[in-house]
Amino acid sequence: MEPLDVELDETEVELATEPMLVNVGPSHPAMHGTVRCVMELSGESIHRVDVQVGYLHRGFEKMCERGTWSQVFPYVDRCNYVSPMLNNVGFSLACEKMLGIEVPERCQWYRMALGELARISDHLTCDGAMAMELGAFTPFLWMVKARDMIWDVMEEETGARLTHSFGRVGGMAKPPTDQFKEHTLAVVEQVLKIVDESEKLVLTNRIFLDRLEGVGKISAADAISLGWTGPCLRAAGVPYDVRRAHPYLKYSEVEFDVPVGTSSDCLDRFLIRFAEIKQSAHIVRQCIARLPDSGPVDVDDPRVVMPPKSEVYTTIEATIQHFKIVMEGLKIPAGEVYSYTEGGNGELGFYLVSDGSGTPFRVRIRPPCFLITGGLEKVITGQMVADVVPCFGSLNMIGGECDR
Amino acid sequence: MPTFKLDDQVIDYQPGDTIIQAAHRAGVDIPHYCWHPGLSVAANCRMCLVEIAPPPGRPAMLLDVLRYDEKKGDYVKARKPKLQPACQQPVAEGMDVKSQTSEHVKEARAAVQEFLLLNHPVDCPICDQAGECRLQDYWLEHSGKKKRMHDEIVHKPKTVDFGPTIVYDAERCIVCTRCVRFCEEVVKDPVLDKRERGNLGEIVLAPGRLLDHDYTLMTEYVCPVGALTAKDFRFKARVWFLRSVRSVCQGCATGCSSFTDYDPRNQTVYRHRPRENMQVNKYWMCDEGMLDYRRVHEDRVLSARIGGSTTTPEAALVAAAKALAAAESGKTALLLSALHSNEDNYALLELGRQLGIESVFLAGKPAGKGDDILRSTDKNPNRAGVLLLLGDKPPGDIAALAAAIDGGKVTTVLGVGSDIEDPAFASSLAKAKLIALVTHEGPVSQAAHVVLPASSWAEAEGTFVNGKGMSQVSEKAIATQGSSEPAWRWAISLAERLGKALPFKKAKEVKAASLVQGASSGVQA
Repeated sequence: MEPLDVELDETEVELATEPMLVNVGPSHPAMHGTVRCVMELSGESIHRVDVQVGYLHRGFEKMCERGTWSQVFPYVDRCNYVSPMLNNVGFSLACEKMLGIEVPERCQWYRMALGELARISDHLTCDGAMAMELGAFTPFLWMVKARDMIWDVMEEETGARLTHSFGRVGGMAKPPTDQFKEHTLAVVEQVLKIVDESEKLVLTNRIFLDRLEGVGKISAADAISLGWTGPCLRAAGVPYDVRRAHPYLKYSEVEFDVPVGTSSDCLDRFLIRFAEIKQSAHIVRQCIARLPDSGPVDVDDPRVVMPPKSEVYTTIEATIQHFKIVMEGLKIPAGEVYSYTEGGNGELGFYLVSDGSGTPFRVRIRPPCFLITGGLEKVITGQMVADVVPCFGSLNMIGGECDR
Repeated sequence: MPTFKLDDQVIDYQPGDTIIQAAHRAGVDIPHYCWHPGLSVAANCRMCLVEIAPPPGRPAMLLDVLRYDEKKGDYVKARKPKLQPACQQPVAEGMDVKSQTSEHVKEARAAVQEFLLLNHPVDCPICDQAGECRLQDYWLEHSGKKKRMHDEIVHKPKTVDFGPTIVYDAERCIVCTRCVRFCEEVVKDPVLDKRERGNLGEIVLAPGRLLDHDYTLMTEYVCPVGALTAKDFRFKARVWFLRSVRSVCQGCATGCSSFTDYDPRNQTVYRHRPRENMQVNKYWMCDEGMLDYRRVHEDRVLSARIGGSTTTPEAALVAAAKALAAAESGKTALLLSALHSNEDNYALLELGRQLGIESVFLAGKPAGKGDDILRSTDKNPNRAGVLLLLGDKPPGDIAALAAAIDGGKVTTVLGVGSDIEDPAFASSLAKAKLIALVTHEGPVSQAAHVVLPASSWAEAEGTFVNGKGMSQVSEKAIATQGSSEPAWRWAISLAERLGKALPFKKAKEVKAASLVQGASSGVQA
């Protein structure tokens, strides 16, 4: 067969010596949200990169500061919208810390069970999307099928699949449904089965492994100095998990391991999420076993908890209580608090300032993804263009958390 | 100053003070319904009960009571101290009073609150008091308990027409008698009284009478609950959507300190209510003044006019400047207004000075009814302020201006203000070229050649000097309506069109300048 190209003396070809600027995003399928990467390429390798967040600007914190404390819940739902329940619980705990109240035991187990289910859904989304972006579409459908089962539980419990707005200061919007335990246990079993199958689908695939192994490495020291937390930090070998380091709710009473990585590359970040799904499933089962079937879910405090509707319409006392909480907002004593929990991607912190009124004076959120995205530049500099996709995917940036 | 102890805090008092008076002065709140600093003591609501330690060496006054013991499942004998109403108990040197720190007081207040709500209807959603209701506030602060009585509540008359301004709801009433005492003690017209007792108690009108004196809206204002509601405000707005500014009542020369409540969403003023100022109006305001806010939106002139037909502000300014420039020298007069602020009048005066206008006149609303409680016969809020601005050159009145126009001595008039003492003079005004900065429709706007729409007091900050020579600032509530501008700003624009420059541009600057010119001698209340 004849060569297609005319024979050329290679010394005569002028190769481009100027670096080339490539804009990826803010609207690009490889960017999980409105993030823009301005890359300076030399051939196929990335010389310099400038990661820019800020294209998503809802004024998240400012929005939180204009209503009542309870009206913040729908906003935190839209912070990490892949695991909104964890945000709801995190914000509830921050408010409760300021009020100096602790929710009843039943509520604590319920919050933990729902929270861990949300974490599983978060990790499934991340790993599924990552596989899909590398061309493995079947595992994505597999994992999203499992995620849908979790969302079925969420829908059953909260009425919404995605943005539940289910947390409340001093409790939850509703007690667990009668079939919650049975449904959850069945779903957890199915999810674990699907995770096993998914592992088999991708982890024996040479192409998949080649694209992840040794790609996007970061040292533990760098990860810490960038403020990384969560699975990305643990993949770098640092066993920091808020649930273990600073237990809240009933985390000190359950058994679970904190998996850590060894090589801190994209594959480690992918695998650690699978490992954490199994740990979360283990926690969910323990929560279900210890969740009381009866008893109060909300604290018994008329300052913060809404009265039952049947009483609101028939007695003046409950009408007043309802009125005060809805119209003026529940009052949180003046002061400030930093309260933090383990979100889907790491430490989710709320720094709240109250002036004693029914409206938050300041809501500052420390979203894990914002800091992790801050490290993207470090992770992809020096890599090939094609590596941007798995690196970005493995960090699991959630656009809503990078709202600045 | 002698002192006593309240919740382990040392508080000063004046001899003769009751506990609640001394605490009120020190800024410590003791919950109360029936007590009002401006009224006599009734001590009937029992919300202000406090525990007073016995004098040293004397036994405490204890009451024998029965308490339910959950363990025994029966009532057992117990003793508890006799509590005293803080509104009635005079303070003695070194007295040790426990209010929030006493468990007995807390229990008593929760019980009083439960009693007051026992027969209360579920009315918050349709009650105008909701949001500023003591029953709501105190339930959360002092009770927080659910209803224990599940019998049908005692029903009493609702929407009782008390007169032209007030509607009474006996079911919401806690019979604190504040309204009764207000009518009797402040207005000296005992038209209200209480009848029956216990859960049948209610407020009634004197036979053959209506609640129709000149201070009826104050009964609604002193009512700590939603029993008395003002017909003017009923179902108009929800108070938690309203914002308040500190204003000065525009109804007469008394210049009562007031709050103007407005809704920032639709830029509408909904209410005028008294603001405590012991030097001017104490705690009260009259009906005329409280309803005066309506003028902010009624009969307003909101667009510029030339010869009676609407035009753009720019065209009106050009026409006004042309008329002023074309006037024969010495034949232009300035007409100031006793209804407008120092700022407005001063800006016009300054413009007049730069244009070389010598003759200055002052007009305002005609005199009306006065009394020896608050109301002044002079219905203009700032006559004293304008007179101070003019110093030793007293202005002519509207009759003198009419005579000067009729006699041909004045052909052009630059004026501010919509009202004149007698509308009969309007025909004289119409003979001159009248350039008027007016807020409302009236004789002046009808007679004017050029009308420039001026903002009302609620749309701009202004300084007003009352009949006693006290200067007060009325804050801006809402944005300017239509194409209206504060009169002082029109003066600046007019000066520009005439090639002059006034020595101020901003609200702050005109306020500072007008203070220097004389009003500073007024007492800042």
